[in-house]
Amino acid sequence: MASREVFWNIPYGYVIYVLAAIALTFWAFGFYRRYQLWHLGKPDDSSKNIGKRIPVFIRTTLVDVLAHRRFLRDPYPGMMHLIIFWGFIILLLASAVDAVTHYIIGHIIGTPYLWFKLIVNIGGLLALAGIIMAAYRRYVSKPKRLNTLLDDGIGMALIAAMLITGFMVEGLRQAATELTLHPDWAVWSAGGFLVAKAFADMSQSSLLFWHWSLWWFHSVLALAAIIYSGLVFSKLQHVVVSPLNIFFRSLGPVGSPAPIDIENAETLGAATIKDFTWKHLLDLDACTNCGRCQDACPAWATGKPLSPRKVVQDLKVHMLKAANNQANQSDSAPTLVGEAPSEAEIWACTTCAACQETCPVYVEHIVKIIDLRRNLVLAQSKMPETAQLMLRNMQSRGHPWAGVQSLRLRGDWTSGLELKILAEGDSANTLFWVGCTGALVERNVAATLSMTRVLKAAGVDFAVLGEVETCCGDPARRAGYEFQFQVMAEQNIEIFKNHQIKEIITSCPHCYHTIKNEYPRYGGDFKVVHYTQLIADLISQGRLKLASKLNSILTYHDPCYLGRYNGVYLEPRRVLEAISKPRLEEMGRSRNTSFCCGGGGGHMWIEEQPGTTKINQMRMEDILKTGAETVVTACPYCLQMFEESIEHKQMKDSLKARDLVEVVEAAMKQS
Amino acid sequence: MGSHKGVLVCGEIAEGKLSPITIELLGAGRKLASELDEDLSTLLMGSKAGGLGQDAIAYGADKVYVAEDSLLDDYNSDAYTRVAADLCQKVLPSIMLLGHTDVGCDLAPRLNGRLGGGLAMDCLAISIDPATKLLVSTRPVFGGNAHATMVSKSARPQMATLRLKVVPPAERNDSRQGQVIPFEGKVDPSAVKVKVVDRIKEEVEGVKLEDAEVVVSGGRGIGNAQNFGMLRELANILGGAVGATRPACDEGWAPTRLQVGQSGKVVSPKLYVAVALSGAMSHIAGCLGSKVIVAINKDKEANIFNVAHFGIVGDYKEVLPALTAKLKELKSK
Amino acid sequence: MNTIVCVKQVPDPEIPPAKFKIDPETKKVIPPAGVPPVISVYDERAVEAACRLKDKHKGKITVISMGSGKASDVIKHTISMGADEGFLLEDQAFENLDSFGTAYVLAKAIQKIGGYDLVLCGRQAADWGAGQVGSILAEILGIPVVTLACDIQAADKKFRVKRTVKDGFEVLEAPMPSLVTVSSEIGLPRLPGGVGLMLARKKQIPVWKAQDIGAEASQLDKANAHTEITGLSVPTRKTECEMVTGGTPGEAGVNLAEKISKLI
Repeated sequence: MASREVFWNIPYGYVIYVLAAIALTFWAFGFYRRYQLWHLGKPDDSSKNIGKRIPVFIRTTLVDVLAHRRFLRDPYPGMMHLIIFWGFIILLLASAVDAVTHYIIGHIIGTPYLWFKLIVNIGGLLALAGIIMAAYRRYVSKPKRLNTLLDDGIGMALIAAMLITGFMVEGLRQAATELTLHPDWAVWSAGGFLVAKAFADMSQSSLLFWHWSLWWFHSVLALAAIIYSGLVFSKLQHVVVSPLNIFFRSLGPVGSPAPIDIENAETLGAATIKDFTWKHLLDLDACTNCGRCQDACPAWATGKPLSPRKVVQDLKVHMLKAANNQANQSDSAPTLVGEAPSEAEIWACTTCAACQETCPVYVEHIVKIIDLRRNLVLAQSKMPETAQLMLRNMQSRGHPWAGVQSLRLRGDWTSGLELKILAEGDSANTLFWVGCTGALVERNVAATLSMTRVLKAAGVDFAVLGEVETCCGDPARRAGYEFQFQVMAEQNIEIFKNHQIKEIITSCPHCYHTIKNEYPRYGGDFKVVHYTQLIADLISQGRLKLASKLNSILTYHDPCYLGRYNGVYLEPRRVLEAISKPRLEEMGRSRNTSFCCGGGGGHMWIEEQPGTTKINQMRMEDILKTGAETVVTACPYCLQMFEESIEHKQMKDSLKARDLVEVVEAAMKQS
Repeated sequence: MGSHKGVLVCGEIAEGKLSPITIELLGAGRKLASELDEDLSTLLMGSKAGGLGQDAIAYGADKVYVAEDSLLDDYNSDAYTRVAADLCQKVLPSIMLLGHTDVGCDLAPRLNGRLGGGLAMDCLAISIDPATKLLVSTRPVFGGNAHATMVSKSARPQMATLRLKVVPPAERNDSRQGQVIPFEGKVDPSAVKVKVVDRIKEEVEGVKLEDAEVVVSGGRGIGNAQNFGMLRELANILGGAVGATRPACDEGWAPTRLQVGQSGKVVSPKLYVAVALSGAMSHIAGCLGSKVIVAINKDKEANIFNVAHFGIVGDYKEVLPALTAKLKELKSK
Repeated sequence: MNTIVCVKQVPDPEIPPAKFKIDPETKKVIPPAGVPPVISVYDERAVEAACRLKDKHKGKITVISMGSGKASDVIKHTISMGADEGFLLEDQAFENLDSFGTAYVLAKAIQKIGGYDLVLCGRQAADWGAGQVGSILAEILGIPVVTLACDIQAADKKFRVKRTVKDGFEVLEAPMPSLVTVSSEIGLPRLPGGVGLMLARKKQIPVWKAQDIGAEASQLDKANAHTEITGLSVPTRKTECEMVTGGTPGEAGVNLAEKISKLI
């Protein structure tokens, strides 16, 4: 019966278990030191609600670890990682099978043994192929996003050496045994068989000697790799830290920072690395420096100084410095913002969440950046002038637009519309929350008016706040001016409660995200819908009738705060398909890989830093590639940004920017 | 109150001559004095003031009080206030006029505080109410959004600072007769509590904003300091000067001395090009005297279009280069 | 160094001109709905000047404001910027006072607070813009005044004040105590930081009435006003604006060039 002897030619083979125990002790020690490092950070509640985390973790493991969903968005590195990952899973399981069966039944026997051999060999070959792909990519083709360190080379060399010596050991064993006795068994180990053929001429004693030597070399190498990764905290550690990070990842809304306890806060935002929570420090170690976030970042793509990868790596350096200082009895952690990350980097972020969406290990960049901004704004009063101007307007005028800039007053848009405007003491079930831009900026007011007409046509009973409506607080929060946000959130929640509002329809995705996902922490639990969701429902209920003929090729731009932040991808498309099914051309970057318009994170007001181009112009290239005549979006910022770039490109005649609701209204008119 | 009589103009001397605002004030004062049938007098301060007495008479003054003291050669708030207050307490004018200039802005309110009069600053017009014979002053309020008229029923003197170039200058008539009266202003150096320790003159390249025939102004919409260069280019082609709104100066995109508006400079060029500025009334107050106003703004609702003669709705970044290039071409022809 | 800053709450000066409404009968401005009043711009800069001096020389900043109950918002704003204390001067007798009346009330409050090295005011209010309260106040207090400051430094019991004039600057030396009125050239006021906002939230703003500061009724009598407003109007000056167009903004620019080249 086909089988083989475990520890063949290896007297005292069990010594390896003793050595492994020693190696694992070293590794555990290294890991514990790292664990202490993470606890430089503040406590948070990530370690609670474990019960809720387990199903999430299992789901994420299936989709993003085993099936590599996030990795495979980028085919070459995705496939490369996939085959290394699965190769090693096979090898790991095989070793476990060897170890376990050895003490029970000797080893697998018969045909299963042959299949086992084959699978293990395929695993090894996959991993080897993956490593070759990785080496080629890192040292020959060198894509820009890679930032190669010595550790990358060492790690890769260790893995390659383990794999090659593994095949050598297998081959030498076969040359000494199976090749002559059972050549039909030998062919099942594809890799080992080739090696065995090469060494077939060697004398038996030499074979035995080299097999014995290489077996120990291979085994000790594996243990050395464990010790190395434990003590140096090599990138190889990601096999442990990444799943850990995925397990403890934020289950809350995307990009929402924790509130600051105004009365008792010791520090405002993150001044030193110790002001982050331990989970954010775990993020820094979980980051494998792969650069996917950098590739996805609109700021980086347009030549701004920000790379989310670099921010995380720079913060990691801070973490190590802080630990060093602590070891040297000096308690001071270095101030975070300075050379790296710089203020320019911190302010370039549009909080579009493309980095977080693409990160295979679920690092959270945005909250870190907002925490850094909080410290700059609240503790140091350092910010771009345009940010200051916007925040001052928020403070004194209740909205981010300057008085003379907007040329309108908050309630102007309601004039002559016969709307139910809530006065003191009135109550209503459903509120249409217009948002500052929709109420104050001419182009967006047009969309707001369109919205009211569509709602009325569908018989939706709604009220508005008119001149009493203020900002939801989003730009203040993203810019780090947390107290202003809290004041606004509390005020608005009180207003909603006073009018007994149950349901809020928003037209701005930023208001939508803020009210829906962030107000609950301030006591405001309301049913919040984005109008695209509402209209999709109204259409499916037959309450909105649309003529299907709009002779225009459309493309739809997913607003970040609607898509990535809230997963609303389908409803806007359902609405468009109800109108113009064959004429919707998707952009290359759409849905969760949608590319920012440049207006989020306060950047509607904070001036874009000089770069190679502007973010909205880069997005315009995507739009033009579709050949669309109309770009449809569902966010007032995006609409502004596209109008601006259309004007810049002088394309007014060939391309229109429309809010989805305007398209809906136009389709209604034809019916 | 009954004992207060006559109109007193507080004159200013610049480079050894009566300054333009003083000649305007004499013209306005003469009118008021004639309507009241009272005297027009003027106060001139400085060691060489005496030599200008006849000039002031030629421009309409009946009496010229001359306080000659080298302490008064340059404006000093404490010294000027002391001398002017002493004179007012002696001659008891019913009306006192000053220019809305560096001197008047500082001196008038202080003098008013000391004398207990009734003052209107930055007046666009002054007249006598025929019924009550009171001085009626018209001045901008709420950043120029509204005009208010004010009177002082009982407080004397009735005071006003008059904005530059809102009244025509007095015509010179060398045959006019009048008295030059030396005034023994006792300036005790110890009474000067605030001392001027330095005067820094800022040299202006090219044409001075106040004198320019063409002014190209930018507002908050310009976006950054660098882009003001585009305005400078246009101004150079037109042989003009660059101006800015208060928000643009606040942002540091242009030096404050280029600020046009109520709290900056008031200009009246032949051509005023307003770029990326919405036209807040406080700014318009500073350029309304321009012969032709051209507005370039993205927002067609911008207030500046309400006062402009020509307008373009569009992004200045695209309009200006074409405009400048075309003007250059037309000029070279 | 102890500083007292006088501030005023005004209707938002940045409302669009088209929204500016008055009642010519009562000679009052009708504030547009939904636009909260703000601190007068120059006064906010006076607070900024005080904060800069405090940053350097320590000391205390006290803010006073004469106005209605809502004006305590303005005082709270100054506390969030860095002021230590604020008092609201609110009394029916204080309503519609002219510059002399206002200066008198402020002087009484300042005398009650006492112990000051510097009094700061904005160069003029952003609403009525009389531009004289500071100077009259200095005369009542009997202290020197420097107007239109764009920089204030303190050293050796003296102030060095930079003042904007037409063609440059004057540097003046003033003793302590003095009154300085501040112009916008001093620079943008700071955005209140977290600590300031927290303090402002908790701060109680005491209200002083006429009797609290010992203001005499005769001084507040409107019959004794030095000036009186007899009319208020919105100037009408609509020009017919010829819109210059073109296929692109650039073309419009070229067409404009043709038109204006004839003017000069």
